[in-house]
Amino acid sequence: MSNKLYSIIAKIMDVSESDVTDESGPETIANWTSFNSYVLLYQLESEFNVKFTIDEAVDVKIVADIKRHLKNHGVNFNE
Amino acid sequence: MERKLSEYIIESKKVNSSDFESKIKIALLGSFTLDGLNETIKVKCSELKVGCDTFYGGYNRYNEEILNSKSNLYSFSPDVCFLILDTRNILGDLFYYPYNLSVDKRREFIQNKINELNNLIKSFKEKSNSKLVISNFIIPTYSPYGIFETKTDYGLQEMVFDLNHKLNNICRDENSIYVYDINGFVSKHGEENVFDFQQYFFGDVKISLSYIPILANDLLGYIKPTLGLNKKCIVLDLDNTLWGGIVGEDGFNKIKLGPQPPGNTYVEFQKYLLSLHERGIILAVNSKNNLDDAIEVINNHPNMILRENHFGCLKINWNDKVTNLKEIAQELNIGLDSIVFIDDDPVNRDFVRETLPEVLTIELPKDPSLYVSTLTELNDFHVIKITEEDKQRGKMYTQQRMRVESEKNSTSFEEYLKQLNIKIHIKKADEFTIPRISQLTLKTNQFNLTTKRYQEEDIKTFSQDKKKIVGCARIEDKFGDNGITSVFIVKKDNEEEWIIDTFLLSCRVIGRGVEEGILDYIINEARKNNVKRIIGNFIPTKKNKPSESFLPNFGFEKVNDYWIYSLEKHSKKPSHLLLLNE
Repeated sequence: MSNKLYSIIAKIMDVSESDVTDESGPETIANWTSFNSYVLLYQLESEFNVKFTIDEAVDVKIVADIKRHLKNHGVNFNE
Repeated sequence: MERKLSEYIIESKKVNSSDFESKIKIALLGSFTLDGLNETIKVKCSELKVGCDTFYGGYNRYNEEILNSKSNLYSFSPDVCFLILDTRNILGDLFYYPYNLSVDKRREFIQNKINELNNLIKSFKEKSNSKLVISNFIIPTYSPYGIFETKTDYGLQEMVFDLNHKLNNICRDENSIYVYDINGFVSKHGEENVFDFQQYFFGDVKISLSYIPILANDLLGYIKPTLGLNKKCIVLDLDNTLWGGIVGEDGFNKIKLGPQPPGNTYVEFQKYLLSLHERGIILAVNSKNNLDDAIEVINNHPNMILRENHFGCLKINWNDKVTNLKEIAQELNIGLDSIVFIDDDPVNRDFVRETLPEVLTIELPKDPSLYVSTLTELNDFHVIKITEEDKQRGKMYTQQRMRVESEKNSTSFEEYLKQLNIKIHIKKADEFTIPRISQLTLKTNQFNLTTKRYQEEDIKTFSQDKKKIVGCARIEDKFGDNGITSVFIVKKDNEEEWIIDTFLLSCRVIGRGVEEGILDYIINEARKNNVKRIIGNFIPTKKNKPSESFLPNFGFEKVNDYWIYSLEKHSKKPSHLLLLNE
């Protein structure tokens, strides 16, 4: 599941997949604007069939945060 | 099926606007976040082979951009500027507490807002030649008064309704200003879909991300006609398209066409097609059928809405659809890329799509009750202006069909031309002809020496310039009036030589000597003014081959990149023409 997540992030933020880590965020990826971060969450909602709350959306700073919230919605990252 | 916004955002990074010959500059201003809209428009333009440069004015900065003549908006110099405003933004706290104000104060508030908008529009017009498309306001479905809202004088909803009404009034007669009905967009798709509370609170996104590509489609409806990319003609199959069943097998009495379902879906579809025809879209038939069977239905079936006189061309035969489409384009003198093809048979559609990709082949649903909505979804028939010529066009193409038949019956082409009794009425640009002159420069592709596109504002400015002649010609013959179908713009900056800036002829009058007649008129005017030479120019495009040899055939001689006609020569107006200067 990590790979699927990284690949979606890479596409939307226009970076190569190998540049995406759990620590990636606005500090490390230039295209990670607030709007793109929202486009990303919206895309993840449909890819993983989940719905984030506004608290979760606001809380997302880096990839690890996204993983944490996806886990709370039942997405399994322990491959 | 519309793609997701994220796909457009990803795709937009691969698009390079300098890859395309045709270009447009679009500015987006808004009172809320419009991110994603520019990326979507850019991608959609690239799919039309148009390079689109966009300017996004940033979050709620539209006042500064429009009022300051040195703003980035004006240095970008857009062709079309979209200003998308929002009801919550303009009403402020009144959105929740409108009834803190008295009725009179509410009216005053709306009047003040409309005055502000009017100033904004005026300021934009003074500083830019761009088109301005301003959205109206979404009428709230909520009211603090609940069911009592409709009992309330000038309540919240009526305030916004009135604001929209007043906005229409101040823009109606402004040629370069259009109101985009965003309220209609929301009604069509539903407020609960278009407006997402989470997105609104999180990022002030007032059009949810999934609806931004759909909104972009509506905005493309303004961009296409600005570039002359609108469609002019719908070519229709007959069996299972204009009526249910197959006339050759089921027979005249058994086809489905009438008040009962499913016959009523075809009647409705025909009514919608007729409404397009009446505002200037040409209709044509491309059907594999026995001519007699099909014509019998078209002329005599009691429930047919479209009759023979509504079609500019009928190809009812056993030829393949591609051959027929090519002939239709040729006979109507229009490009294949201005044709929309509608056929219920997926095999025919695939064949046309493969062979003639420039034709827009519609994916017609199997269910005829969806035909009308399939057609209303298209943003390809919009025009910047509906002129008197447009309303007459359908009739004119029927007359054209009769001309072609008359040509077939003449013994020689000269004899045919003579008996046509062609009259050319030359007119100068004035308030009645300016809209049509601009329209012709925007959409004429084939017989157009320079293909310079001019908006109404440009033509108006030229017509007031003493150093320019802006003229047009109305062409009439024994079959009827073709309306204004030719435009010329001549620059007189130099007393010795006049330059032909624009010379074009609508395709439906090509090939009858009219072009020589009009050029001869210009030459005679030049002679009266003691001019020595006329300079012409031919700028080749992908489409203007039909006008390539016009200047040399007339007697212009090539000098470097230009064509020159010395006025010592005697020019020759074809003898079958009558020229009238009005």
